[in-house]
Amino acid sequence: MDLRVRRSKTAPPNEERGRRLRSVVGLVLALQVGILAFAFAVTGRTGDAATVVASRHGVDGKLEYCLECHGASGQGYHGFYPIPRLAGQQTKYIENQLYAFIERRRTNSIMFNVAHVLSPAMVAGLAEHFRSLSPGPIGDGPRGLVKAGEQIFQNGIPDANVAACSACHGPDGTGNDQIPRLAGQLYPYLVKTLANWAIERGQKPANPDTSAIMKPVAHSLNKPQIEAVAAYISYLK
Amino acid sequence: MLMLFRNCRWGGSSTSDVASECEETVDQGLRRAQARSVDQRKPRRSLQLAARAAAIVLVLASTAQAADTSAPAVSKHDLQAKIDYCETCHGLSGRGFRGYYPIPRLAGQPPVYLQNQLQAFTEHRRKNIIMFNVAHVLSPEMETALTSYFAGLNPPPLGGAPKDLVSAGKQIYEQGISASDIPPCASCHGADAKGNDAFPRLAGQLNDYIFNKLTNFEKERGQKPEEPDTSAIMQPIAHALTEPQIKAVAAYVSSLE
Repeated sequence: MDLRVRRSKTAPPNEERGRRLRSVVGLVLALQVGILAFAFAVTGRTGDAATVVASRHGVDGKLEYCLECHGASGQGYHGFYPIPRLAGQQTKYIENQLYAFIERRRTNSIMFNVAHVLSPAMVAGLAEHFRSLSPGPIGDGPRGLVKAGEQIFQNGIPDANVAACSACHGPDGTGNDQIPRLAGQLYPYLVKTLANWAIERGQKPANPDTSAIMKPVAHSLNKPQIEAVAAYISYLK
Repeated sequence: MLMLFRNCRWGGSSTSDVASECEETVDQGLRRAQARSVDQRKPRRSLQLAARAAAIVLVLASTAQAADTSAPAVSKHDLQAKIDYCETCHGLSGRGFRGYYPIPRLAGQPPVYLQNQLQAFTEHRRKNIIMFNVAHVLSPEMETALTSYFAGLNPPPLGGAPKDLVSAGKQIYEQGISASDIPPCASCHGADAKGNDAFPRLAGQLNDYIFNKLTNFEKERGQKPEEPDTSAIMQPIAHALTEPQIKAVAAYVSSLE
């Protein structure tokens, strides 16, 4: 029996095969480079971020994703954690918070994951959109605390060195520029946020941010006062 | 207590979960504090004697001091807490802050002017519900301490005014508007706008704050006609100035250091 490996009669000689192999590889490489070049040309992200605007389609898609947690109209949602209302929020404030999550000045692993993939154009587009939403407040605070909360919100607690919330957040709680809207915010979210201020915000002492302004206020408020003012705010339209 | 409260970890979807978590932490915290105090009983006897002696000396020294002064001093801690509170709204170093309203600069303000205003708020001669609440709980000693503290601060101006109005504002500030019987602001507020005694500093003041105050002067100041005060001097001036003139002079002084 002849066990020698027999070359196929139709196989080209080695030289010819080598040449064909090189040309195929060359073609594949060229195609890959071409695809890459095309991809870069299309996205064109070499210009500065300010001139690149997120397409309406892109923002809408991302918005649906945000609203899955933050409520169908951005009114907030009682998930496993209370998830805050974004509707009607000041654009500058939302932008600041998203960047704070990304830079870990504000600690929240879920929001870090959400925020750090957003382009600057997307951040601006989303913030603008949330500003325009206006569902009514969920209104979930204990009714009995509202009156005491109104006192604190409008007058402050001078003996405890707590400034009136209205001085900065406005008598209607709508905020201004970097100062957040509070009106209609979820009760448990407000309570948690004020109680945990020092361990959640301003977490990079080398890089202090606007959260510092609330630190003494959050510190000076006691638990019943926090609950009262949170209850009042949760009903503001 | 507050320290323990701050250590509460909040999770769960209802405040009842939260409350039980906090109570646990309070207990743990108390136990920890007790453990610490037991450890601290261990140091050497000689150290304890020295500490006790020092404490006695300190008490004697402080009581001796208290016998000399007539007014109860404001503690450093209380003053700092009050300063932090003021700065929550009035900005770091009292430079002013744009909250929901423009909140004025206090830095470099003559103490007499600040004291007059605090008094005016307390007596409702100057109408402002937020400042009434702030002012009426202050003791005279605290007022003195606070006003001299803020008088000594000198941060740069907050800025924000339109630059193109500054030269027109400078004209009004230095020369007045004779056609409307408006004297130069400089004649009372000083050429450098730093004020003096009962005349407020304007240099570095927020332009939008100045605009609000001058346009609302009659509605806010001198609200007790039976008790006229120093605000009366500005009444005719505020009344005679037109809005563009107010905006110009406000832009000018807000840029001054």
